[in-house]
Amino acid sequence: MIPGKRDVTYINHQYVIEYLITVPYDDSIEELAHIIIIKNNLPLYVEKELKKDIKKFIEYKTAEYYEDTSTDVVQKAKDQQPDIDGIIKQWEKIMREELIEFGEKRCASDEELFATAYHKLVHSPALETMLQYEHMYSKTIRQKTEKRNMMIKKLSDRQSEEMNKAVNRLEQDMTESKINELVSRHYETHSLLQGKLSSEIDTMKEAQRREYREWIMEMLEENQANSSLPTPSSPLNPAYAENFKSRECNSRSQINLPILEESFTIHLGSQLKQMHNIRILSASVMELCAIEDNEQMSEPTPQFLQTALGLYSDDLTGLVLMTDNKIGSRLSQGFQEVCQRTTEFHFPHIEEQLDRISDVANKYLKNPQPQTSRNANSELLERGDFYLTSHSNLAQVHVIFHIVTDDSLKGSDINSRHPVVLGLRHILKTACANDITSLTIPLLLQYEMTEDMTINWCEKRAELVFKCVKGFMIEMASWGGSELKNLQFMLPEGISSGVFTSMTEMLPRIFKVCNPKILN
Amino acid sequence: MTVGTTLPLLKDPQMQFGATTFFAKQHKGDTCGSNGLPLTPNSIIIVGRAQTLKTINCPYLCQYLDFIRGKHERTIVVSQYCGTPLAELIEKRRFEPEEIVQIAYQILEGLKVLHGRKIVHRTLSNDNILLQSSGDVKLFNYGLFHMSKFGSLVSFPVFQVLYTAPEVFLNGINRLSSDPKCDIWSLGVCLAELALNKVLWSSLKLGQKIRKILSMLQVNGSILEKIAREHNSYEQYLEMPEDLKEIIEECLNVLPSHRPTCDLLLKKPCFQQFKAKEGEGFRKICPPFEIFTIHELYHWWQLAGGDVLLELKKQGLIRSSPPILSLPSLVLIEGVVLGQDRNPATLYDPRIAQMPLDALYQRFAHIPFPVFYPLIHSKSEIIADADPPPYDATALPLVIKEKDPEYQLHRVILLRRLLHGYPFTKDFIVEQSAKDIPPLLRGEIWAALLNIQADYETTYTRIDKVTHTTTDRQIEVDIPRCHQYNELLSSADGHKKLKRILKAWVYQNSQYVYWQGLDSLTAPFLYLNFNDEGKAFACLSAFVPKFLHNFFLKDNSVVIEEYLCKFSQLIAFHDPDLANHLHEINFYPQLFAIPWFLTLFSHVFPLYKILHLWDRLLLCDSSFPIHIGLSVLTQLRDRLLTSGFNECILLFSDLPEVDIEKCVLLSTSTYQNTPRSVTSREHENGKFHKKDELDIVGLKLEELKKERCPRISANDVVNFVRNRPNDVLLIDIRNPTMYSRCSVMGSINIPFSSVSFSDNIIDNIGLHSAALKSKGHKVVVVIGDADTDLETFPTFLLQCNISKVCVLHGGFNRLLSVTPTVLTSNNAM
Repeated sequence: MIPGKRDVTYINHQYVIEYLITVPYDDSIEELAHIIIIKNNLPLYVEKELKKDIKKFIEYKTAEYYEDTSTDVVQKAKDQQPDIDGIIKQWEKIMREELIEFGEKRCASDEELFATAYHKLVHSPALETMLQYEHMYSKTIRQKTEKRNMMIKKLSDRQSEEMNKAVNRLEQDMTESKINELVSRHYETHSLLQGKLSSEIDTMKEAQRREYREWIMEMLEENQANSSLPTPSSPLNPAYAENFKSRECNSRSQINLPILEESFTIHLGSQLKQMHNIRILSASVMELCAIEDNEQMSEPTPQFLQTALGLYSDDLTGLVLMTDNKIGSRLSQGFQEVCQRTTEFHFPHIEEQLDRISDVANKYLKNPQPQTSRNANSELLERGDFYLTSHSNLAQVHVIFHIVTDDSLKGSDINSRHPVVLGLRHILKTACANDITSLTIPLLLQYEMTEDMTINWCEKRAELVFKCVKGFMIEMASWGGSELKNLQFMLPEGISSGVFTSMTEMLPRIFKVCNPKILN
Repeated sequence: MTVGTTLPLLKDPQMQFGATTFFAKQHKGDTCGSNGLPLTPNSIIIVGRAQTLKTINCPYLCQYLDFIRGKHERTIVVSQYCGTPLAELIEKRRFEPEEIVQIAYQILEGLKVLHGRKIVHRTLSNDNILLQSSGDVKLFNYGLFHMSKFGSLVSFPVFQVLYTAPEVFLNGINRLSSDPKCDIWSLGVCLAELALNKVLWSSLKLGQKIRKILSMLQVNGSILEKIAREHNSYEQYLEMPEDLKEIIEECLNVLPSHRPTCDLLLKKPCFQQFKAKEGEGFRKICPPFEIFTIHELYHWWQLAGGDVLLELKKQGLIRSSPPILSLPSLVLIEGVVLGQDRNPATLYDPRIAQMPLDALYQRFAHIPFPVFYPLIHSKSEIIADADPPPYDATALPLVIKEKDPEYQLHRVILLRRLLHGYPFTKDFIVEQSAKDIPPLLRGEIWAALLNIQADYETTYTRIDKVTHTTTDRQIEVDIPRCHQYNELLSSADGHKKLKRILKAWVYQNSQYVYWQGLDSLTAPFLYLNFNDEGKAFACLSAFVPKFLHNFFLKDNSVVIEEYLCKFSQLIAFHDPDLANHLHEINFYPQLFAIPWFLTLFSHVFPLYKILHLWDRLLLCDSSFPIHIGLSVLTQLRDRLLTSGFNECILLFSDLPEVDIEKCVLLSTSTYQNTPRSVTSREHENGKFHKKDELDIVGLKLEELKKERCPRISANDVVNFVRNRPNDVLLIDIRNPTMYSRCSVMGSINIPFSSVSFSDNIIDNIGLHSAALKSKGHKVVVVIGDADTDLETFPTFLLQCNISKVCVLHGGFNRLLSVTPTVLTSNNAM
């Protein structure tokens, strides 16, 4: 029996009918009458009478059903049987959780306020100035960082020279204990210097961040007060800015190495065709994220402009970064360094984000859910899990999906049920639910070419990823979120052009490539 | 003649609409349905369930207009919204008892309509009873409980705390109840508020309010009295007229089964005065013709740039925080999402955003009054001159015309009037449909074009669509794959309706079997008549015999093969180059065109394209589809000509984008330029194509398969000779003796025996080759007799890339009997 329904038997003695009906009856009573007429070979003229009779019967039985169910509940309540307080609490809870009328009145958070301000200004004539300042801030940090690195290097050089001398004199007047002492002294000065300089940089970043955010808010207020377009005023020395502007930007070739890439427009769906852009390119993942670091650059790079414009929009850009099962492990050091090259004006620093994720993970993993096959007590993540970090100071990307992988991906026998592939599906799903409409995926699930990766291996892997991603994208259309507009498949840097070509030739065989539109 | 402005007409105070929005419940995790397919998003199910609400038309209920899905399960409901909520008037003005009784009557009439359709309001409250300037009331937002499937498709509770019957609370959160009696309680509370003129328990907190309602269970006397006492209104209670008091007290009965139904309440003597008033006059016989409906106004408003989503954003009902601030922090392989807080913007906000109509008023300000009253039968030039010049949009592409608010205003006004006169006005409808079909009325116009009779509903009702049959399984497999990008067709209700229509068709057509593709064929009709299954079924039932006669026979191979042969021949007739190329690489229509014709392209194109294609198809006969096929090939011509067999197969495995307007133009042009008998088939439905002995009859499939050029009937040839001799080139291939004895007027003689067929060079035929080379658009009719080879010669012409070659069916002798004769004797030569 269906919950909320009851089966009753309709009996009509005049025409010898017995028929099972479920009340409350949802379908048309007229149709029911005709079915009964057909089933029992009755003449059509009974139609009217039968209809009336069935209608009466159903109405009566429905009323009876409602009476039975509700009278019981009401009667019990009248007799004070049920837990009235419990019922009230239950309803109160759900209403507070779900209805805006009773929900917690919540003001917009600082983050949201800043986001609104920034989004508004970045889409106004103030954009250029804002980017200019951000660029100069990062310039300062870079210079500072370089200086730090240089000083540390100098120190290291000096120390190693000293050490060499000391070691050379070991036979003469140096003893091992003296050398040990020297080592520890060196180590101390080294870490002291490093700590001092790094903390200087951190302080500077913190100051920049504060200054910049204040400036943005001020500018917005000014803008609102004057109800005119913001006229940016600089928190920095304008002469300084001039100084930068005067230098000309160098040609592109010096900045960007030529990378192998090819773009496609594809469509999915058999009748209604949904268009997507796909690009295959070979690049190093770190370089893809990093904002170009070049002395000659006086202007912020266009990639950065893109990042800034889309940051608080409904069109975010994501990138899948493969990592291991420990959050913030050594494997991600390289990435963390890229993040730290410049000041993060919008989100917590990368370490802080990773710490928070660790907290969330630990909290959950310590109390494992009964249904999962997860290793109890292990605080490590498993293959296919992924965590997200947000960034405003990377090129062309806002969100990083750190997916947990392992060495099994080096093998040649992974299939569509491999956890990492399933993880990719979850990534697409998360992207779809959170308005991430551009995504970069490592096509071979590897960052570097090794000798084991033969052309056959590459083709097999590429085919697997292409086909699985295609399947996920078709599925995605029914998820009701934002659709993936741009998809980038990344190949390891230094892939041979032969392998690259075989990948670009494979793509149109798996995805349907759109016909060129010919204007005439 | 002074031409009044239409603005007062448009600015009807009841022709106003507003929108509300909420989020449907998200499916948890990665679950699949019982059929192994992914679950349908709840917002789609809601949109499907809600459609029926659009058909409710009652003066005391706000009309539902539209249901829109946004991103991330957002659902937007657009409905009529006019007048002032009673809640805003309580404690501010006095309600006379007579007025309250009238309000009670109108609410009950409204509820009666709803309950009759098994719809429970559930949120009845003084906030959504709207008082009109006329003194009538309209209920608003009565469909939420229904569309959310008794609240199960949304995560928030569907009710207004204060007005909710105690059993609703007692039933708990998860038990769905569809008992309409809870509305009667709500009505009691609404009336009590009005009668006492007090906002009840306004100072209580949420928990206390629920407790207060549940405490009513313990009241032994009159609940109304208790309420009155608690609000220091005992005096009002005593003064209240007995009939009103009685109604309220009966409504406020804690036992739902003891609460009266709407029908019972409406029998009260105090309501009889209103009933008598309503049944007066003309209204009783047939509802008055509305000059335009609120659905149409909404449609025009949208075309004139009205955007519900934008308006909701402007008025703060859609608030969005940047997605990057609310990302989850961790997603585990099991699908568990961690570190993402509930977005406060997804809570239920019952506010209503009124849609501003000023832009539309402005857009239509210049439209003269007579436009709303088009003259249909008038032939008088004087009247025609006085009319404002018609709005000219003929030069615009169809898609633009469909988006032009002013043009659509004209079209809708005119065509709805014509439809009102159907079937009397059938000819006018056909005439107007040839121009274009306004999207808003397409369902009805199609039904008119297909000659649907008024009793279609009865026919449909009498069909058993429930009993299990052997085809059910196949139908169930096909439906979840049929045009699922469309919200209506992918909704649970859409699936159910499609299944019922298909089952009804199978039941009704026992001579046929269910072929895959019938689902796609039904989809456009269901889409257009989503709230009228019977009409969708009637359209399908009229459509199949007209265009797909015998296609659904258990063994349909003969019918299909003949069809494909005719298709090949039509290609040869119009495009010999392409025909020769396809013939050479052995790329036959069997390899790609069966689904085209079996589903009349409904399996190939998305719905919006099918609609435009069928707009034209419905005006033509059953040969039109092969012209469409030809036009598709013509669009891909360049690629086909340069492709081999494999490329062609690949190209058609997933048909590239086809420009449908071009397709319609091309196919219409070939359709009009092809003699009807060239595409005539043996298996055509005789009901639509009457034939006599001068038509093509009795042509065997084996014979047909051998011929690469089509045959033409004697009737068409006679027609050419008599009426359009310049459009035809008649070639008599009999020997010169016979030719000179007797021949068709204007024919030339190329004796079959005189031509060498070794090379495909047109000059081989000698003298007359020039006439063939420079023939232009002329149809070439090859006339022979039993002694001549009627295959080699036309095939030769085809191979020489001569277009429009056809062969006279029955040969020369068939023309002998024609009177007055078209023959002549050439003895003089």
